[in-house]
Amino acid sequence: MQATFSIYRKQPGQGSKPGRSTYTVELADDATVMDALLKIRDEQDPTLGFRGSCLHGYCGDCTVRVNGKSAFTCTAKVAPLAGKEIGVEPIRNMPVVKDLISDWDAFLWDKIDMTKPWLEPNGSAADGELQIDDKVMARVRQAMSCHYCGLCDEGCTVLPVDFKFVGPAALTKASRFLFDPRDQATTERLHILERPKGIWDCVHCFEASEHCPREIAPTERIMEMRDEAFKHGISNDQVARHHHSFAASVKRSGWLDEGRLALESEGLTNVKGLMKLLPTAAKAIARGKAPIPYLHHKRPGADKIARIIDKAEAKEK
Amino acid sequence: MKYAFYPGCVSRGGCPELYPSAVRVAAKLGIELDEMKDVACTGAGVLPQYISDPINARTFAKAERMGLPMMTICSTCQGVFGQANLRLQDPEYRAKINREYLADEGLEYHGTTDIKHLLWVVMEDYGADKLKSMVSKPLTGLKVSPFYGCFLRRPPEVVTPTKEYNARKTYLEKLIDIVGAELADISGKGKCCGFPVLTANEESSLGMTAKHTGEAKGKGADCMVTPCPLCHLSLDGNQPRAEQQEGKEIGLPILHMPQFLGLALGFSPAEMSLKRHIVSTMAVESKVNMLA
Repeated sequence: MQATFSIYRKQPGQGSKPGRSTYTVELADDATVMDALLKIRDEQDPTLGFRGSCLHGYCGDCTVRVNGKSAFTCTAKVAPLAGKEIGVEPIRNMPVVKDLISDWDAFLWDKIDMTKPWLEPNGSAADGELQIDDKVMARVRQAMSCHYCGLCDEGCTVLPVDFKFVGPAALTKASRFLFDPRDQATTERLHILERPKGIWDCVHCFEASEHCPREIAPTERIMEMRDEAFKHGISNDQVARHHHSFAASVKRSGWLDEGRLALESEGLTNVKGLMKLLPTAAKAIARGKAPIPYLHHKRPGADKIARIIDKAEAKEK
Repeated sequence: MKYAFYPGCVSRGGCPELYPSAVRVAAKLGIELDEMKDVACTGAGVLPQYISDPINARTFAKAERMGLPMMTICSTCQGVFGQANLRLQDPEYRAKINREYLADEGLEYHGTTDIKHLLWVVMEDYGADKLKSMVSKPLTGLKVSPFYGCFLRRPPEVVTPTKEYNARKTYLEKLIDIVGAELADISGKGKCCGFPVLTANEESSLGMTAKHTGEAKGKGADCMVTPCPLCHLSLDGNQPRAEQQEGKEIGLPILHMPQFLGLALGFSPAEMSLKRHIVSTMAVESKVNMLA
């Protein structure tokens, strides 16, 4: 089988302009994209840079984009793509060091480091080994199976507009410790996770879960941590105001008082924040589409809805 | 065709143009709506699952008692409902919710309520061919970018549980074709609009608004169509602030999916309340008014 690859190229150092190189190679019918990259490097261009480690679709070190879709080069087969030029680029949302080699420190390791990725044991056993029943660990087992391939971050909607967002991969690592029954640092962890660029910056778009090759569901892991923060009392002031106003509105009337939510989320004494809303509010009033705060009516059945919310809150506290 | 209609909060709050447009369009298509009036907000992904699952189970139980499938007009309502309904398929979990929260009111959810967004209703239950036959004013020459809202695309176990549902990921493009408009496709059509982080990270939120509307504008779109009112708040309501932040003019009108369909069904821009948008829809109105 003959296949032609158009590969993204970039030299190290700032200011170097990225380009592309095209290579045609003879490959076995069952060849992977990694086989092709190795052959190109060995036979045609020793300067081509790419990563690889386990070569069995396990470690994620070789993650790139093949024809616009994220893939492990070591498991992506060439045969279904041959016939047309095959595009290979580094994964999105990550600074490129050289060619297909991305900066994993900036992308992942530094961010994981920010989440306190170690256990703070809540006790010690007499024999020095803190053993617990396997069943108790069920909740964190999914997150523990993450091998940091980076595909969830590659699919993330937030990272392209805000690279400082901690991102689903590092947050998945954080969930592994937050929900570990042996850990005692829950409050401290939540405070770290609730900082700007943490759990509240996730848009829960489920791209991360869709991209995860191991069904770890990073989006769900982040949502669980947000629920945990809600349960413990949200420590991020602005998010807390928003969530409390939202919950109070549903409890009061059965549905959302959007006008009041907008004001209370900013903070009723936050003049600067409220002023910011003015231009849009003025336009909305002029177009007859501004929900008037505090004139919001109660829906039938609101008392029954409030009783359910009270009960749910009491059970969790 | 009859549905237990769940309009959601925003269609009568921040986007009051959506509710009447959807009701008019449904009536024109002969889709009967029995509005659910004594049910709660879905929680919109803001309320934690331990609160939203019980209140949503209550809504599903009420629809089940009405003997009707549910219809939503909001991607977020649809998504939160879909995810809750999937969890409630677990008999043990459902029994717990029934026992602890619904029994007081004499309600019980049996797990049978089917929930569909209007976009899914018209494409799946009503049918593309029948819908095409109802188009009285093809929107010829109107270039339109689709924008789904996350929850009409993901998570897959809810939106596309089997292969036969994969077409759901292209329903907006099909709708654009059915009404005779031209597709201005964008890569961000299935991404987040930015609304969920407006409170936590406004800069990031407005960045997303600018990215998607800017991409559509760059593709020559006259407007964008969305089935989600929260996306509308972000893409229309916050577009001027996004323009200011990014230092560029965009000026892209954003139409709710029922408004867009309604124009092709022969409703006037006024009947579809296009004047109630933040970004002027004049360019779209002029094009539509010039059509036969």
